[in-house]
Amino acid sequence: MAMIRASLQKLSRVFHGGQAGILSRLATNLAPVENKSVSEISKDVIAECNQLIEKNASRNFAIVHLLGKQWRVTDGDLLVVEGIWPPNIGDQIKLDKVLLAGTKDFSLIGRPLVQPGLVNVTATIISKGLSHTRTHFKKKRRKQYMRINFARAQQTMLRINAVEITNKINAKASNEC
Amino acid sequence: MSAKNLFLNSGFVRAPLQNGVGRYVCQLQRIVLKFCKSHGGSRGMRDFIEQDLVDFAKHHPGVVVYLKPRRHRSPVIVGEYLNGDRVWMNVHNKTHEEITKWIEVLRTQQGDIASVRLRKYQYTDHPSIQGPWTPFTFKDPELNTAELPSSKFGANNRLPMSATEQLRLMFEKQKISTKTEDLKIAE
Repeated sequence: MAMIRASLQKLSRVFHGGQAGILSRLATNLAPVENKSVSEISKDVIAECNQLIEKNASRNFAIVHLLGKQWRVTDGDLLVVEGIWPPNIGDQIKLDKVLLAGTKDFSLIGRPLVQPGLVNVTATIISKGLSHTRTHFKKKRRKQYMRINFARAQQTMLRINAVEITNKINAKASNEC
Repeated sequence: MSAKNLFLNSGFVRAPLQNGVGRYVCQLQRIVLKFCKSHGGSRGMRDFIEQDLVDFAKHHPGVVVYLKPRRHRSPVIVGEYLNGDRVWMNVHNKTHEEITKWIEVLRTQQGDIASVRLRKYQYTDHPSIQGPWTPFTFKDPELNTAELPSSKFGANNRLPMSATEQLRLMFEKQKISTKTEDLKIAE
């Protein structure tokens, strides 16, 4: 019995014994080996991303800079923007400051903005009104100081109509030769 | 005074009937202007009716405008919206310009939006597109098949350099420099 147990232990040591075990060697073989140069890899990745863009396989999203804030938007989103802002209801606007755009499988990260004309984010103004009344109440104890102010901010509601990646990555712009 | 103690409902961003997807519909459907023909409090309202009301109705054919004169009562504007909201606003002693502005506010808003405190300023049906983050996203795929605990993945490389390590480094550097000096001397 003892002999069997010892032999089993030996076997298990062969299979699991740290660095030299058979299983561990197999495991390291599973890791992908890339022998390509960096430029080749980046070319391959860009080609694949362009294929994905052409297929339009999944929903897109973008991070958009709007009135000092960054919003993560996708088709059909609603945003509420506070502060005085000229666009009026029914207006269709294009959100140009795209910081990042992405699909399910890849992301395009701007430095700081994604190249102009690559991503198209359009929105409609739905509603423009005033917020509820906010109370700004200040008081200092034992100092005969008390202020109460009321404020209502302008609220503009946007509907995101589309987030589209319209162009190919690294494609030349139409005005470029 | 916190928001909890106010008689103010809180809510989330919503738009009625997928408004803005495909087409946009003005949400104000009916506006009723109540005023007195003789009292001074209705002066601005009467000015608005005389000067701007016809233009307003012409520019916004989707909005039904009613006038309701009534004796010795203060002027009031009531807007009724597509989602059933009704906004009542007293405009006693308001000037012509003020009334123009308030009517514009009533026209452009999509209901009684001032009666709710927004808890979030964004609404989305798709909170995540690339999938929510987990501790294993963006990790080396080699980790999937590694046998744990391993010295490679388990190493604590987040600690600052200890004094001992610094001393050791200095010692090594010193050794190298002395070696090169010896070489120079030998040359």
